[in-house]
Amino acid sequence: MYEFIRGPLIWISFLIFIIGLIYQALRFFTLTRKKELVFINLPFNPDKPPKKELSQRILDRFVSLRKKTIWGTHPAMTVITSIFHISLFIIPLFLLGHNILLDEAWGISLWSFCESFSDGLTWIPLICGAIFLFRRIFVHKVRAITTVYDYLSLLITIAPFLTGYFAYHQWFDYQTVIFLHILTGEVMFITMPFTKLGHMLFFFFYRFFIGSEYSFSRGTRTW
Amino acid sequence: MSKQETKQINTDEIKRMLKKKKGKMKLLLSHCVHCSLCAESCFLYMVHDKDPQYMPSFKVIHSLGKLYKKRGKVDLHFLEHIKGMVWRNCVLCRRCYCPVGIDIPSMITFTRTICRSQGVYPRVDESVSESWL
Repeated sequence: MYEFIRGPLIWISFLIFIIGLIYQALRFFTLTRKKELVFINLPFNPDKPPKKELSQRILDRFVSLRKKTIWGTHPAMTVITSIFHISLFIIPLFLLGHNILLDEAWGISLWSFCESFSDGLTWIPLICGAIFLFRRIFVHKVRAITTVYDYLSLLITIAPFLTGYFAYHQWFDYQTVIFLHILTGEVMFITMPFTKLGHMLFFFFYRFFIGSEYSFSRGTRTW
Repeated sequence: MSKQETKQINTDEIKRMLKKKKGKMKLLLSHCVHCSLCAESCFLYMVHDKDPQYMPSFKVIHSLGKLYKKRGKVDLHFLEHIKGMVWRNCVLCRRCYCPVGIDIPSMITFTRTICRSQGVYPRVDESVSESWL
């Protein structure tokens, strides 16, 4: 069983992950094939108002950001979620242990953080995960829309980091913990394209390709 | 008995409508991470003492989300319930902001279309007890 988990299942999970992402990307582009100009700049006021001073424009922009975006309404959550999502990529990619395995298998590896630094970084997703769990349980508006599925998604995301931390510190039975670490990582890869964890991919699609007021670019695809 | 209570619901028609947009709507519904960060972008949520039922995500999950969950097998009572959610609790101002980028107004619009197809919509001549206002 252990040999299967650390051998073929890793390849299977990677394959499902990549094929799943391609399938979802194709699905997205097929569903949003219809293109149209979403926002037309109508001559709202033919008599142009006098141009504002640069400082006033910067101030207006800041006030608009403050009022209209999540950065303005939830600065703490914006920082926490940003750090959390970045750490989900950075920690496994630049972990020494993972890169040694890569080097042994294929003779290639990425640049690695020193072990103590990676160990410290692992606290980031764990603490952020604890904050998200706290919000789910105690914040009324979050609890109102929370389902069991949300707890499960959080568990799938955090479990590889928690078991990895335990494995590094050799807490509990090492063989069992490392087995769980590999297994939870594989579960995350397999479930990512087909569950709400798929926002990893769709975040960029929705923000860049779909035309809306809040798009990061002038997307022309519509629902 | 009011006119609305005697009305028949065509579940086949609802199923057909749901199926037609299943791909897009299910995709959007399945990617809502239930973070509730869209809440403050809704002015109705803000003016109703931050009542969660006015959150954009709440409105979508409990209207269109449930329609898909029930596979269109709904009754008039259910449609009347979501009528309040998609008309009274939402004015479709399109100001809701989803951090993931989900198009919430399009989902509310679709729910309204389904309700309207069954003759369920706010009427100016509704009595006070039936009023959606």
